[in-house]
Amino acid sequence: MTSDLSVPRDDAQADAATGVWSRMDLYLERAGEWLNPILVKESRQALKSKQFTITFALLLLCGWGWSFLGTMVGGRAVEIVYGYYWVLAIPLLVIVPFSAYRSLAAEREDGTYELLSITGLNSRQIVTGKLGSAILQMLVYYSALSPCIAFTYLLRGVSILSVLLILFYTFVLSLSASAVGLFAATLTKHRNWQVLISVVYLCALLLVGWIWSEELVWDLLRYESIRFDNPETWVANLAIVSGFGAGILMTIVAAAANITFASDNRATRLRIVMLLHQGLYVGWMIYWYVKEQHGEWLLVMSCFGAAYWTLTGALMTGETAELSPRVKRSLPQSLLARMLFTWFNPGAGTGYVFAVINLGVLLAVGVIAGTVGKTLGRSMGYFADHYAWFSLFLWMYIAAYLGVGRIIIAALRRFLHFGLLLPVLIHIMLIVLGVAIPMIIHGWYYGFEFYERDYSLLHAMNWAFSLGIIMDEGVEIYPFTFGVIAIGSVLIFVVNYFLAIRDVEQVRLATPQRVQEDDREIHPERFLEPRKPKSPWDEDD
Amino acid sequence: MIRPQPMIELRRLFRIFGDTRAVDDVSFEVNAGQVFGYIGPNGAGKTTSMRILATLDLPTFGDAFVDGFSVINDPDRVRRRLGFMPDDFGTYPYVNCAEYLDFYARAYGLVGRERHRALRHVMGFTGLDRMAEKPIRGLSKGMKQRLCLGRSMIHDPSVLILDEPAAGLDPRARIELRVMIRELAAGGKTVLVSSHILTELAEICDQIGIIEQGRLLATGSVADIQKQFAPHRQIRARVLDRVADVAQWLSQRDDVSDVRVDGELLRFSHEGNRLQEAALLKEMVQADFVVAEFASHEKSLEDVFLHVTQGYVQ
Ligand SMILES: Nc1ncnc2c1ncn2[C@@H]1O[C@H](COP(=O)(O)OP(=O)(O)O)[C@@H](O)[C@H]1O
Ligand SMILES: [Mg+2]
Repeated sequence: MTSDLSVPRDDAQADAATGVWSRMDLYLERAGEWLNPILVKESRQALKSKQFTITFALLLLCGWGWSFLGTMVGGRAVEIVYGYYWVLAIPLLVIVPFSAYRSLAAEREDGTYELLSITGLNSRQIVTGKLGSAILQMLVYYSALSPCIAFTYLLRGVSILSVLLILFYTFVLSLSASAVGLFAATLTKHRNWQVLISVVYLCALLLVGWIWSEELVWDLLRYESIRFDNPETWVANLAIVSGFGAGILMTIVAAAANITFASDNRATRLRIVMLLHQGLYVGWMIYWYVKEQHGEWLLVMSCFGAAYWTLTGALMTGETAELSPRVKRSLPQSLLARMLFTWFNPGAGTGYVFAVINLGVLLAVGVIAGTVGKTLGRSMGYFADHYAWFSLFLWMYIAAYLGVGRIIIAALRRFLHFGLLLPVLIHIMLIVLGVAIPMIIHGWYYGFEFYERDYSLLHAMNWAFSLGIIMDEGVEIYPFTFGVIAIGSVLIFVVNYFLAIRDVEQVRLATPQRVQEDDREIHPERFLEPRKPKSPWDEDD
Repeated sequence: MIRPQPMIELRRLFRIFGDTRAVDDVSFEVNAGQVFGYIGPNGAGKTTSMRILATLDLPTFGDAFVDGFSVINDPDRVRRRLGFMPDDFGTYPYVNCAEYLDFYARAYGLVGRERHRALRHVMGFTGLDRMAEKPIRGLSKGMKQRLCLGRSMIHDPSVLILDEPAAGLDPRARIELRVMIRELAAGGKTVLVSSHILTELAEICDQIGIIEQGRLLATGSVADIQKQFAPHRQIRARVLDRVADVAQWLSQRDDVSDVRVDGELLRFSHEGNRLQEAALLKEMVQADFVVAEFASHEKSLEDVFLHVTQGYVQ
């Protein structure tokens, strides 16, 4: 592909050229046309770099060296395989992710990113192109070591399935680490911060790589503990892989959003991914409940889900609701579409409602599953009676805390410009203070020992204590306090809802004359018949 | 009469950083096929306004338009029509010229023959075809500028924004650059080119704008500006006796200004045509001054530039 660049030629000329190779070359080039340009560039660059040449040579050298050494000394099969694993793990778990991180960070430091950002490429293509190049490098390393891996098949005493599973998860880990690296590269443009981030990132890579290699891989190889004949093994692996997949997707979308121009819509795609997370999460929650029939599982999953929506809610309530005119031209118009899709628009208000609704759905599914399960005689654990109340109040607390945080953030936004860090800190502070203040007041007057009987209206804002009480005793003993909590949260929600209306009421802007002319030039076919909105977003290009 | 739509328009543009007004109420228009020279000392706000036009930054107030599209509301449409050559640009290691251009051609969505054609055209135009296989890191400054120009025109944009393209070039490369810019304009492209040296661009610009401290001080053709800001001619006279008296006598006249004494030499600005100059000489002789030499010339472009700007350099 590289060779004929210098002398660009016509396809006709190329067709005339005979021979398998030139035809191959042509096909490759044709395929290359449709590839992500970043992928093409990065791969060319990466495969030509010194770093790659050295790593590749070392990998081959170590792989073959280990084979000779291992067989000569008569090492056990698992030991030989474990040696190969290390030869592969260092490039895969450290070098590839770190160079993915560096390639994006350097792009932002050197100012080449700016030139890229005004081409036809969008930030998503840039991030996925870099990730694609990382994958390509991983594959090259794998294939370089594949003879050695094939060799292990001949050795008695290791299960080839275990080896393949380990290789697969090493790949998944490498991919996740690369995605995280790309995300880390988008966090800041300043060189000093970038240095700090690279140190932290490198340490994290080494730590995760070490834990995986030293703790898990070695045990998996030695004890052969995985039962591949059990279908549940595969289901569990599917669950793990879907979790990684969802995480990688989110990381990539978030990285792309970080480097998108502020005037673009950065929120909608992230929210769609959150919805996907929610779907996967609820699916696995129900699957394992049906399978294992333990009510505790529902509770644990509900709590993790609540943590997820609290965190994403904290981030979303930190957004500004500035919609650029371009985004406003493609807002949903019909009543139904607006009711359903307005919550995907950028902005703190819509983000708040989005998080609260999703959390509600998640908790409700848990409660319904638990109730159905209980009537079918499944174990719900000791908290069975209070599960519904617990979920309801968990929901109300999170809605209230996020709501208060959002109001504070909206007030601060009038005076200050800030990103997403301060909103998250504000939310964390609120959540901590919510527990600390009542505790301190209580301790001041009655001493620092807390019993259930000490629960009172003072602890209405103390979500930890209240939820603990509900878990143990339900709500009936303290109807007044819980009534106050309920009314308070509903009030906060309603206030926020009405504040959100400003974000929600954004209406579609008319498309300017000049833009319509341009559209007519680019997409004449769209103007043959009156245009109907096809999707609620109806992007115009 | 309908005015043609300007290809570039800045409309009351402001860009404020803290308390620096980098761009302070700048408006101008450039029509299709014209070369507009954006002249100002370092720190005048040239780069800032060009970055706004290139959609890399947003104005604090005001708006800018490329081919009728607002950089605020329709940046993607602006990007399609615009090539930007920044004043300094990073490159990639392990990439040669051909690959660099090829990459940007792909990034702008050019495929197949279209891309090959664009590459061939750009490499021919910039004379890079002999350098195709050279790694970028080893290129001379002049060749790098050519590569960067080639990159900015790979998608055949109708508007080119060139930020100080001549800075750091040797005289020959500078002349070649001027020829390329003129050729681009002749091919119908609208070019906005900046420099901190007026004479560097004067002969290739249809219009210039002089900017200092974020303010646009003058716009128009070079001749217009010269006329507007330098209706005076510069006179040099050698007087052999009583130089101080002559200076005194001259500075009392209304048509004379900026009198400077340098030994026997007197330099001053005179407002009036050549006849009036002759009359002045006659008067001087009649006043018994010993005038040994008397010569006049038009103010140079540099004089104009110095006259217009106040010389705040940051
Ligand atoms: N990102 C920025 N933050 C703060 N000040 C800036 C920034 N960019 C430019 N400036 C200031 O704006 C002024 C104009 O700069 P610039 O447009 O680069 O000038 P020029 O290109 O004409 O030399 C300078 O005073 C510069 O210090
Ligand atoms: Mg500059």
